[in-house]
Amino acid sequence: MRSSGGTGTARVARSQGVAFSKSPVLAVRLPSWRSRVVLFGMFIAFGALAARAVWLQGTSSQQQFLQKEGANRYQRTQELPAVRGKITDRNGQVLASSIPVRAIWAAPEEVLAAPKEKIRALAGLLEMSEAELRKKLDSDRNLVYLKRQVEVETADKIKALDLDGMDIRPEYKRFYPQGEVMTHLVGFTNVDDKGQESMELAQQANLVGRPGSRRVIKDGRGHIVEDIGGKIEPHNGKDVVLSVDSKIQYIAYTQLKQAVEHFGAKAGGAVVLDVHTGEVLALANYPSYDPNDRRNLTGAQLRNRVMTDSFEPGSTLKPITVALALDSGRVKPNTLIDTGNGRLQILDRPISDTKAHGVISVAQIIEMSSNIGTSKIALSMPSQEMWEMFTKVGFGQQPKWGFPGAVAGRVRPYKSWRPIEQATMSYGNGISVSLIQLARSYMMFARNGDTIPLSFEKVDKEPLGQQIIKPQTAAQMREMLESVVSGKDGTAKKAQIPGYRVGGKTGTAYKVENGRYAMPRKYIGSFVGMVPMSAPRFIIAVMIDEPTQNGHFGGSVAAPTFAAVAINALRASNVPPDSNVTEIVVPADTGPEAM
Amino acid sequence: MSNKVNIVLTALLVACGLSAVNAQYQSRHLFVDKERAEAQARQLDTEWAQLQLDQSTLGKHARIEEIARRELNMTQLTPNRTQYLTEGEK
Repeated sequence: MRSSGGTGTARVARSQGVAFSKSPVLAVRLPSWRSRVVLFGMFIAFGALAARAVWLQGTSSQQQFLQKEGANRYQRTQELPAVRGKITDRNGQVLASSIPVRAIWAAPEEVLAAPKEKIRALAGLLEMSEAELRKKLDSDRNLVYLKRQVEVETADKIKALDLDGMDIRPEYKRFYPQGEVMTHLVGFTNVDDKGQESMELAQQANLVGRPGSRRVIKDGRGHIVEDIGGKIEPHNGKDVVLSVDSKIQYIAYTQLKQAVEHFGAKAGGAVVLDVHTGEVLALANYPSYDPNDRRNLTGAQLRNRVMTDSFEPGSTLKPITVALALDSGRVKPNTLIDTGNGRLQILDRPISDTKAHGVISVAQIIEMSSNIGTSKIALSMPSQEMWEMFTKVGFGQQPKWGFPGAVAGRVRPYKSWRPIEQATMSYGNGISVSLIQLARSYMMFARNGDTIPLSFEKVDKEPLGQQIIKPQTAAQMREMLESVVSGKDGTAKKAQIPGYRVGGKTGTAYKVENGRYAMPRKYIGSFVGMVPMSAPRFIIAVMIDEPTQNGHFGGSVAAPTFAAVAINALRASNVPPDSNVTEIVVPADTGPEAM
Repeated sequence: MSNKVNIVLTALLVACGLSAVNAQYQSRHLFVDKERAEAQARQLDTEWAQLQLDQSTLGKHARIEEIARRELNMTQLTPNRTQYLTEGEK
């Protein structure tokens, strides 16, 4: 370099006045093809990239997989939950409702890696010991359930612990505010929200909701920023309105409970029907259980005796036999029948009354509940006619009221009936029915000889009836049933209620165990009645199973329970009184009826 | 001449671009509002169900009877101390 030297001078050759960088001396002489080669090389590289992109996005077999993976970076499928429908009573009071809760899942490996005190805090929130929690986490699976049906507040606290590997998912829990009072009617669901009993089971298809989903775009902070279609609408389950009136149900349940305890009975059942619509206004069983806490549930508590147990009804069946005889014109209410000395042999099988009634009218047979009188009437009729009558009122027929587990009862085919059996069946032995069937069979007396189907759901209009007996027969029967309660020889004086006219029939049956009558005798006392007699509104049937103290006849165990349910139900429903008798003194001993 | 057309077109293009950005921004805002409103609707639904449940629990007949008898000293009415009024009768 020919620099002239000297500090502070510019880096420009003073003599030539030529810029340093343009100095021809410094110019590198490269062959021009080298840059071309580089350019070409880069072009090839870009070309390869573009070709690869086209290949992956357009033609490759992996194209769909890649697109999906790409979308997964920002798209999410969001579950849209659906709620199970509510169950309400006829007045809109909630009987069953689902409330959101949380299910707590955990990835064992990640959670176990957390600090000890956090795990202890988690165990505390889950209400289990640390050892229990660790046992649950000791699993090979990716995710394990820690606890289900956890309340939202607790779940939020667990979330606040900020443990890795926790997964908190929404679910629903079913609550039954009316508890043991309503449970035999409403039923319950399992942890997966499936109906298990009663209406929860029967209405499963209506109640269940259909969850939906949608695709969304989430931003980096997990917020949803856009909905990108593909939405499946969630459908909440339909609400079901039951026919039950929670006021009357409460009355029936508490009175039944008192009666079962007072008479030292094993169990009891009561049912209240609306005469005009066929709606079941109350259906109570005791013992019962709380559907919100089903840990120590026994079969006896779960049993819905009104619907699923059949029993020999005893004398409560007599009115049906007598109605058939009246309707076919074979007898009139004042026809006299000789019941003799209270003993009758039919083919060396004895039939007896509680005492000798002598010659009494058909109406008195019902009033005093004479087995012999009813048998004599029955034996004057062909067995086929009786069987047809039983079938028409629904005995031995599978009920079609949409209630799971409802039994048909048992009526043997008439061709195999022997005369003694025809006689005993006329007063309710050798035939079995459920309490609700028995209650429904009285529908034809309470109405004008027709019967209507029962309903567990609220009914808007009166259903079409099926005529079984003539209206005047029904009127005659109502008179007889009233005499059972208010007549001087009536067997159900304890069914009287102040201010209202009452009609009904008592029944006391021996319990059948293993195909024969249990020894020592076990009883089922029952009463089926209707109020108010001037224009029947309710049919109430009560059954007390194995009363052991304070009496065992239907007239002494079931009739007072009926009266207690009836008076309260009438008052609760604002039914005006139809009798001037406002105070009733029931004689201490109302006399037994025959079985 | 063609220069002027280009400038106008560029301006238009920029304006369109900005309005698209703005529209997207607006739509996201509205979407967030909608999400929030829907979440609120769900929350209210849940609350309503909870309140209905509370009403049913607190209005349990057993509880009402208990309170009426114990705290308010009420008794059941009987027909013999009830005056019934009938419409149209004297």
